[in-house]
Amino acid sequence: MKNNNYLAVSLLAVAILAGCNSIPKNSSLADAHNRYDNARSNPQVTNLAAIELKDAGDTLSRADNALKKGESAATVDQLAYVAKQQVAIAEETAKRKTAEMAVANSAAQRDQVRLEARTEEAEAAKRQAAIAEQIIDQQAVALAEASVNAERDQQRFEASRAESDAAKERAARAQQAAEEKAAELEAIRASSNRDQARFDALAAEADAAKQQAAMAQEIADQKEAELAEVKADAQRDQAIIVQQQMQLNELQAKKTDRGMVITLGDVLFSSGKAQLQPGGMRNVQKLADFLKQYPQHKILIEGYTDSKGSSSLNQDLSERRADAVRAALVNKGISADRIATRGYGEEFPIASNDTAASRQLNRRVEIILSDDNGTILAR
Amino acid sequence: MHHSALVSVTAAIILAGCASTPPPTEQMAISRAAVSNANSAGGNEYAPLQYKSAMEKMDAAERAMADKNYVRARQLAEEAQVDAKLAEMMARSAKAQKAADALQDDIRVLRQEIDRKSN
Repeated sequence: MKNNNYLAVSLLAVAILAGCNSIPKNSSLADAHNRYDNARSNPQVTNLAAIELKDAGDTLSRADNALKKGESAATVDQLAYVAKQQVAIAEETAKRKTAEMAVANSAAQRDQVRLEARTEEAEAAKRQAAIAEQIIDQQAVALAEASVNAERDQQRFEASRAESDAAKERAARAQQAAEEKAAELEAIRASSNRDQARFDALAAEADAAKQQAAMAQEIADQKEAELAEVKADAQRDQAIIVQQQMQLNELQAKKTDRGMVITLGDVLFSSGKAQLQPGGMRNVQKLADFLKQYPQHKILIEGYTDSKGSSSLNQDLSERRADAVRAALVNKGISADRIATRGYGEEFPIASNDTAASRQLNRRVEIILSDDNGTILAR
Repeated sequence: MHHSALVSVTAAIILAGCASTPPPTEQMAISRAAVSNANSAGGNEYAPLQYKSAMEKMDAAERAMADKNYVRARQLAEEAQVDAKLAEMMARSAKAQKAADALQDDIRVLRQEIDRKSN
């Protein structure tokens, strides 16, 4: 404590002395004083670099003393220089400490900011946790609801299962009843089937009988039709026979053992000639019409003479006369295949050759009709 | 005790004026240490003028010691000491300022991050 007092007294003395020497006689010392005064007026320096500033002050006092004692300018300058540098050191020290305090403050500030950052992160995490908790709560509520629903559904399920069981039982009873009915129905149906089979068999028999009856009727009808046809044919044949008979009568046909024979008389030919006369031609026309109407018939034309003249001449004449008739028929459109001819001369007379009238009967042409098969019995 | 100290200081000042001055070995050591500290603190980089001056004055003091010009050697050594001390202080304050600026940057960046996050 005494030491401090003494220091304060000595500083005061220095100040008084400095004040007394208000007119500096050394420019570098004066410069050092100015710098020192500036530094002292800076509270940053006085507060943060008091020791360094005191060192500068001490040196400055030594310089002042040296000047007062008349020491060399070099000595005073040197002390003034040291003092000036010590002032600068004090100022620089103050700056350094300010910066270091700023560093410390900044570090604290930075830690504060970091803390804020952490706090913010923690808050964010808390918020997220709160949201998560909220979600969990919601899920818990949903779960509770679901649980209630599930329980209700279970009850419904059990109720409906009971209903279902009851329904099943009813169904089973109904099924049983249905089966019994079905069995009865089956029995009835079996009996019905048997009856039906019987009925079917009888019906089939009836059908067969009907069919046979129908067939018999048909045959009967057919027979009747045939009979009618035969009757019609018979009637027609009868008509044909009648007609034929009439035509044959017209041709003056005679029924003989050899069949129907038509005799064309002597008048058709001139004596000793084989030329047909116009009256003979009319008979040939009738014969041609007949042959056209009955194509199944063939004819044999036979020529005869009387006994006058030589027999060879008569033979030739008979043949020529038969041929003349044949030529006339062919000329009227009758096929030559159907007509055969033959000459017999003076043979087979039908009368005596004594009188003229009977000889005329012997001069003749006979036409023999075949039967329906075209057969002619030869003489 | 205090009186004797004051007397001895006064005697030293009086003696400095004398021709028969002893070699300032202690001062030289103190000055060399100061220059070395300035170098370590980065005086060459942050206060090149002051550091160069200290180096040159130290060299000159060494030469004065060799010439046995002890008065001159002490003076030069004392100037070299304060120059070196100033260089060291300048380097240290510059570094401290840098650190403070870097921290301010950090804080600014952090605040921006917080603003982004909270937005």
